[in-house]
Amino acid sequence: MLIERTWKRWVYFYIPLTVFVVGTLFPFYWMLITAIRPDAELYRSWRAATNTPFWTLQPTLEHFRDLMAKTTFPQWLWNTFFIAVASTAISLFCGLLAGYALARLRFPMAGALGTSIFVTYLVPPTLLFIPLANIIRTFQLGDTPWALILTYPTFLIPFCTWLLMGYFKTIPKELEECARIDGATRFGAMLRIIFPIAVPGILSAGIFAFTLSWNEFIYALVFLSSPEKKTVPVGVVSELIRGDIYFWGQLMAGALLGSIPVALVYSFFVEYYVTGLTGSVKG
Amino acid sequence: MGGLTQVRPGSVPHGPAQAPAGSVRRREILVAYALLTPAVLLVLGVLAYPVAWEVWISLTSFASRAESRSFVGVANYRTMLADAFFWRALATTVVYFVVTTLAKLAVGVALALLLARPCRGRALVFLAVFLPWAYPGGVTVVAWYWMLNPPLITSYSVAVGHWKHAVDGVAGAGAYTFASVALFNIWRGASFTAVFLLAGLNAIPRELFDYARLETRSAAQRFRHVTLPLLRPFLALAVFLSFTTAFADLANVWMLTGGRVIFPVVGTYAYWLGIRSGEFAEAAAWSLSLVPLLLLALAVLFRWFDPPREAPA
Amino acid sequence: MAQVMMKDLNKKYDEVHAVKDVNLHIRDKEFIVLVGPSGCGKSTTLRMVAGLEEITAGEITIGDRVVNDLPPKDRDIAMVFQNYALYPHMTVYDNMAFGLKMRKFPKVEIQKRVQDAAEILGIQELLKRKPRQLSGGQRQRVAVGRAIVRHPQVFLFDEPLSNLDAKLRVQMRVELKRLHERLETTAIYVTHDQVEAMTLGDRVVVMKDGWIQQVGEPLELYGKPANKFVAGFIGSPAMNFVDVKVADANGALWAETQGLRVKVPPIHTSRLVPYKGQQVTLGVRPEDLQLASGSDPSEYVFDAVVDVVEPLGSEILLDLRAGNSTIVARVEPTVRLKVHEKTRLALTPDRAHFFDLKTELAI
Ligand SMILES: Nc1ncnc2c1ncn2[C@@H]1O[C@H](COP(=O)(O)OP(=O)(O)O)[C@@H](O)[C@H]1O
Ligand SMILES: [Mg+2]
Repeated sequence: MLIERTWKRWVYFYIPLTVFVVGTLFPFYWMLITAIRPDAELYRSWRAATNTPFWTLQPTLEHFRDLMAKTTFPQWLWNTFFIAVASTAISLFCGLLAGYALARLRFPMAGALGTSIFVTYLVPPTLLFIPLANIIRTFQLGDTPWALILTYPTFLIPFCTWLLMGYFKTIPKELEECARIDGATRFGAMLRIIFPIAVPGILSAGIFAFTLSWNEFIYALVFLSSPEKKTVPVGVVSELIRGDIYFWGQLMAGALLGSIPVALVYSFFVEYYVTGLTGSVKG
Repeated sequence: MGGLTQVRPGSVPHGPAQAPAGSVRRREILVAYALLTPAVLLVLGVLAYPVAWEVWISLTSFASRAESRSFVGVANYRTMLADAFFWRALATTVVYFVVTTLAKLAVGVALALLLARPCRGRALVFLAVFLPWAYPGGVTVVAWYWMLNPPLITSYSVAVGHWKHAVDGVAGAGAYTFASVALFNIWRGASFTAVFLLAGLNAIPRELFDYARLETRSAAQRFRHVTLPLLRPFLALAVFLSFTTAFADLANVWMLTGGRVIFPVVGTYAYWLGIRSGEFAEAAAWSLSLVPLLLLALAVLFRWFDPPREAPA
Repeated sequence: MAQVMMKDLNKKYDEVHAVKDVNLHIRDKEFIVLVGPSGCGKSTTLRMVAGLEEITAGEITIGDRVVNDLPPKDRDIAMVFQNYALYPHMTVYDNMAFGLKMRKFPKVEIQKRVQDAAEILGIQELLKRKPRQLSGGQRQRVAVGRAIVRHPQVFLFDEPLSNLDAKLRVQMRVELKRLHERLETTAIYVTHDQVEAMTLGDRVVVMKDGWIQQVGEPLELYGKPANKFVAGFIGSPAMNFVDVKVADANGALWAETQGLRVKVPPIHTSRLVPYKGQQVTLGVRPEDLQLASGSDPSEYVFDAVVDVVEPLGSEILLDLRAGNSTIVARVEPTVRLKVHEKTRLALTPDRAHFFDLKTELAI
């Protein structure tokens, strides 16, 4: 920004930033290289003259082909998508209403309720899934997407509520009051004035919820058992690790195929997301 | 959390409550509860049963092999507390949380300060930084496992083996696995922390930093006296989020590797007791043992985030 | 205490050329005000003096040091920001002591300076509070106090009063002026408010689009504006502008347009001769118009219809129509006129201004 020497800029900016970026991306590179490396190379001796640990000379799509042919990968993608969309929709709906109430209305126990909804976010899933599995069995939801669609909101709603509450607080009260003086009901004002203004907040909450449910692992692993019902993270891991045998190439291929699209979409919305977060924290 | 603290009753200086005009006020309360119902039902409703179940079970002798289930009071807790293994696991758990959280904060702050500067290709850098968090943790953990603990036949397992030997030799057995799990969690969490703190930095008025540039003698001074204190509320929240992901990652690692790449920490051992050995009651006691610690941490964070205000002018 | 010189100062952002060829010599102990509409480059100029923005081209000298390459902390300046920039996590005392602490002043000295400044500003009993427990005016004082304790060579103010309500602003304005008389430190003050500029500045710099329009003492800017922009910007209500044609009749020059015809005052005649037959802009301040009485020379009188009456108490503002032009006049509070009423206005001949239609420079 200011009068700064070039070498300083390199030492304090470009070099550390490059280190960060390379460091964060290296595992992905490793996934990629494993996914396109022929099996023979994967297990070649370290001391072999032809060993090239950091790149491959014979890239192959064999693992991707195997993944498509031997597993129900496309089905996993669809399952994951369906579950993620449904639980995101539910969580957003609840979060919007609750966030609005906490941000704008005054009622007894507001603080206690708000805090307790938020604190549940901290309850670790390891504590919950044995009894939750009990409930799922009781309602005969085991091995159906609904098992996940109903449990995911337990950790999605708290964050959505908090995020949206913060966002609502940044919207001037006058906007709503004006609408109500002009004849809108409270719900009318909420729907037509507040929610449209809160779109960046809603979007970032939505993205957040979508990613979390897409990525969820433990509940999906415990509650789903048939191979064709699984989600991508669980399917990839559980179907391609048999006992002690890891199908590394296909594992990595599946990891790349199943997640890159989400990750990319996500990254496009980063700015929105950050705006949403900022709004909440400031609020 | 900034929002949360403000919902505390009495903190809003004006509003319809000042004029409790009977029915209007009552309607507002009704509307509020109606709006909150779905969230409360889904969150507290779904969670209340498991938590209550957990608490109740921890007070019984429930196990898959025991033929009857009887109330035993705090016996399970007493056994647990008398177990030296528990204390080791607890220590490991605390160390794991402290180490990963501190590392995430340090890396996150540094990265946030770097990202706050405009530069070309910033969008790409953002993408790179965000990828570890946006990517499914269940999947990336496999990649990390493959990277750091390859099976023996893999070409580079020899090289990694040397490393592992060296690290364990210096820091004791299990150090390498501890380090690899911690590293994985830091890798995943630091970038999120960074983006979060960047949001915090952007929310702080620029003039505060301008003034600091006029008055301080070095960047280090500026960081210590201005940037860090101003970021404090955001740091507190980052710690809070770090806790939750640290838990999730630990569980992921454990599940994925079938208990291979893990040292006993309270959460995973509880799972082991419950699922593997069917000792449900003991498992429940173990899981619940973390709750007081979490509450304590939470209380400290709340205080840190929102220091009590002196009497207003 | 020092003079400040700006030589051919320029600032370019990527697309915006924010400050253009600014040349300014600020004398020792002078209170100079940069004024202009928002976005005209005032803050940027000030921030270059502070060292917060890099200088694209040109030179800034404080005292006898060229400061282009000096970091802000070494420039011996203190700055007050519009939003006060008080640290929320520090008490008032710590906020005021911050700069001195960072510069490793001895504790006793810091304490003495903070106490002195607090006394001058009347904020002794606030020292233990946090900024959020202060009112806007109190915060403002703390921000000023924070600058005073530094005993800098130059004070820089960036719209320090803009966040205060009107009444407090007037009060703080007086206090700042008194403070400057007491401390005798060179001050550069940025504002978009021309009243503030006129009342505070020993000299005022009017800027627009990154260019300096005119530099001068307040009354000089008011009485002899260099161009139409300055004429319109300084003074409230603003000067009336009417595009007129310069015509030659009866051996004198006349400024005429539809529904309005006045003689060109003698002091302007020689300069307007070259414009004979062309359009120029006539500028008259509202206070230089009166209701015509019998004694007014008829060459400077014209007809008008009242549109709006704004009684302010000490005076009345009349919005009138003369032909196609709308005109504001400031008249005695005793005048009784109603809307739509016809009246006659007389202008004070030697207070009329003429501007070139194209260059907008004063003729
Ligand atoms: N950091 C910046 N980047 C790009 N343009 C800027 C920046 N800061 C100011 N500008 C532009 O420079 C011009 C002058 O701004 P400024 O000096 O802040 O005006 P003001 O007179 O209102 O204080 C404006 O057009 C503004 O948009
Ligand atoms: Mg400005």
